[in-house]
Amino acid sequence: VAGGNDFQWCFSQVKGAIDEDVAEADIISTVEFNYSGELLATGDKGGRVVIFQHEQESKNRPHLRGEYNVYSTFQSHEPEFDYLKSLEIEEKINKIRWLPQQNAAHFLLSTNDKTIKLWKISERDKRADGYNLKDEDGRLRDPYRITSLRVPVLMPMDLMVEASPRRIFANAHTYHINSISVNSDHETYLSADDLRINLWHLEITDRSFNCKLLNSVSPDIVDIKPANMEELTEVITAAECHPHQCNVFVYSSSKGTIRLCDMRAAALCDRHSKFFEEPEDPSSRSFFSEIISSISDVKFSHSGRYMMTRDYLSVKVWDLNMENRPVETYQVHEYLRSKLCSLYENDCIFDKFECCWNGSDSAIMTGSYNNFFRMFDRNTRRDITLEASRESSKPRATLKPRKVSTGGKRKKDEISVDSLDFNKKILHTAWHPKDNVIAVAATNNLYIFQDKIN
Amino acid sequence: MIMKAQKRKLPPEDLQVSDRSSPVWESQRQFVFSVSLNKYQRGQELPEPSLRRSVLIANTLRQVSLEACRAPSADREASQPPPPAPEESHFTEFKHHSAAMFSSNHSALVPLNHSSDCTASRPPASCHSNVPVSVKDEDEDWGSMSTDPDFSLSAAISSILTALDSTIDGAPQAAPRTPLRSLENLPGPSEGGMLWAKQGVRGCGGGWEQQEECRMEAMRSSYLSDLTVEDLFQDIDTSLLERDMGVLGLRGGYPAGDDLLRYLPPLTSSSSLSSNPFSLSVNQKCLPSFSSFSPLSPSSSSLPSLSSPPFSPQNHARDGLELDHLMEILVES
Repeated sequence: VAGGNDFQWCFSQVKGAIDEDVAEADIISTVEFNYSGELLATGDKGGRVVIFQHEQESKNRPHLRGEYNVYSTFQSHEPEFDYLKSLEIEEKINKIRWLPQQNAAHFLLSTNDKTIKLWKISERDKRADGYNLKDEDGRLRDPYRITSLRVPVLMPMDLMVEASPRRIFANAHTYHINSISVNSDHETYLSADDLRINLWHLEITDRSFNCKLLNSVSPDIVDIKPANMEELTEVITAAECHPHQCNVFVYSSSKGTIRLCDMRAAALCDRHSKFFEEPEDPSSRSFFSEIISSISDVKFSHSGRYMMTRDYLSVKVWDLNMENRPVETYQVHEYLRSKLCSLYENDCIFDKFECCWNGSDSAIMTGSYNNFFRMFDRNTRRDITLEASRESSKPRATLKPRKVSTGGKRKKDEISVDSLDFNKKILHTAWHPKDNVIAVAATNNLYIFQDKIN
Repeated sequence: MIMKAQKRKLPPEDLQVSDRSSPVWESQRQFVFSVSLNKYQRGQELPEPSLRRSVLIANTLRQVSLEACRAPSADREASQPPPPAPEESHFTEFKHHSAAMFSSNHSALVPLNHSSDCTASRPPASCHSNVPVSVKDEDEDWGSMSTDPDFSLSAAISSILTALDSTIDGAPQAAPRTPLRSLENLPGPSEGGMLWAKQGVRGCGGGWEQQEECRMEAMRSSYLSDLTVEDLFQDIDTSLLERDMGVLGLRGGYPAGDDLLRYLPPLTSSSSLSSNPFSLSVNQKCLPSFSSFSPLSPSSSSLPSLSSPPFSPQNHARDGLELDHLMEILVES
């Protein structure tokens, strides 16, 4: 499946309200396709999860891939109050990760800052009719009135999708959870906060679950969670399990480093197996060098041979066999380098952008400001900037490439750096695991784009 | 660029300025400092500040402070009056916030600038340095001090010493840089002396205890007081005994507005331990030097204090005695 510039992207759908006034709770905070791409889950700041399901292509309009329509909506997390610390715990969903499908039901993990929940999403399209002990209204029948027995019959009903929490993993993280990742063994998953990574065991049966805290991994970033908290200068920013090797995971730090840990090497992964860091370019040094080097996302390629990291200005692709520098570096919005002072002042420099691979690992995508998002084709080295906007939201309308002018002269259709809207940031994007369908979260709207099938 | 309803107070130069001798760099440094301090303080006031954000801001604050501690060029030192400090008001706030002790005297330390070839580079990863500010060709491995289990003490000492020592200027930075290497080049007492004060108590009082897990380091401010060397070391003695002294300290400049800040960098790097972490030669780099000197050549960088011309033999003798005393304290603790 080709990616990037080999074809054109066109608008498919947009979900969410059109109002100018965006309710804080509606801001999308995570987007994730499931393993087949049939389901697309979003989490928002209000603690809700909305799952979209891909409808089959319509025979009438075969040129469309089919649309994503709402499949299930549920309240995953509620705001909590930590009485001990006198703190309110935000209900914002930080991450959603799907479990591989093993039976008819779907399972996903959703997490806020402190608590991870395992949800079961199951369909019900039949109901039992003809109970012996209760009548049609559900009221219990008088047993003395029952003169005969009958076998209840299953009757079709309108499809109902139910989400039920099967397990709640609470009180295992002192700091804010930034990542969850399901292991390739499908039996364990990890969760990471600023200073600690926990490994959990999931045992999913029909009824009961055994989830134990297997291992508490306190990685050694100079003794992260140092004895003296005042000595803390580095935190964990993201973590992910290797897609094929169930003993391997990586975690990134606020200093731009990535550590790869092999759980076979030590019970406590306090020593990393590999340490990835690119030497700094002295000519580009500034006061903000450390902040912009902080990695906001790390993702393994589907092949498991590479990993990708996102820092403030760039995306880097690393070969797992080479620790001293990335094999590829893509500039997302280098024109912001001269604006770092202002971006520090208005806090934009702390924005955490995510990144994602396409199904074949030939292209990568990440977001930017002004509702722009960027795609890079690793083979052709071409890149494109597109915009998620209502203006270009006509059905099957081809997205026009955008350009930010950096020099003095601004060409037609270009936008100058100072005109960028830094309130419109695309932090969360997702790429369908197989097809060229992408989901882009722009504040409270979810845009779905697909390639044009000729 | 500015978010809605925000008004920028200071116009930072947004352009990339790597030339430290330019006034643009200095104004940007001051801006970054004041913004960082502001952000840090506001972050600490939140019930649960984001740890990542706090760490990044604190690191930036530390780096900006250390950048101010560069060796000046001699002529600049002579001619440059201390710039007005917007930070002054921040220090006042900060004083309340952190219960630090300030002594306010007004001999300003000239903000130090450096030759343009003195660029900073991040130390290699294995160094685990906390301040990615590299300076010059320092042979001594200050990171070795970090292997001392008593991080707080070492950091406290080093912070005191950094305020008093001279930086090496002019050498291309080849060696990895650790926080402690930012050694200051200060004018002697005859030129106005220094303000230095004992480091404040740790943390932010009750708030720290309550939110110890979520709080970053306590920030301290202390000023260089107009003291003699003996007084200085007496203060060191006392403060060394304070076990609770935080690792990260912010030491302010002068009420007169100097933006010279000393930052107590935490000593968490696990660089290789030199054979004599507290060897005299190492510490001699930290010797308080009250006389300014011109940028040193790389060849003489190993012991800048001793080899720089303006140093007086009397200073050395006195420093040596005090250093021995300091060594004893370090060893005993």
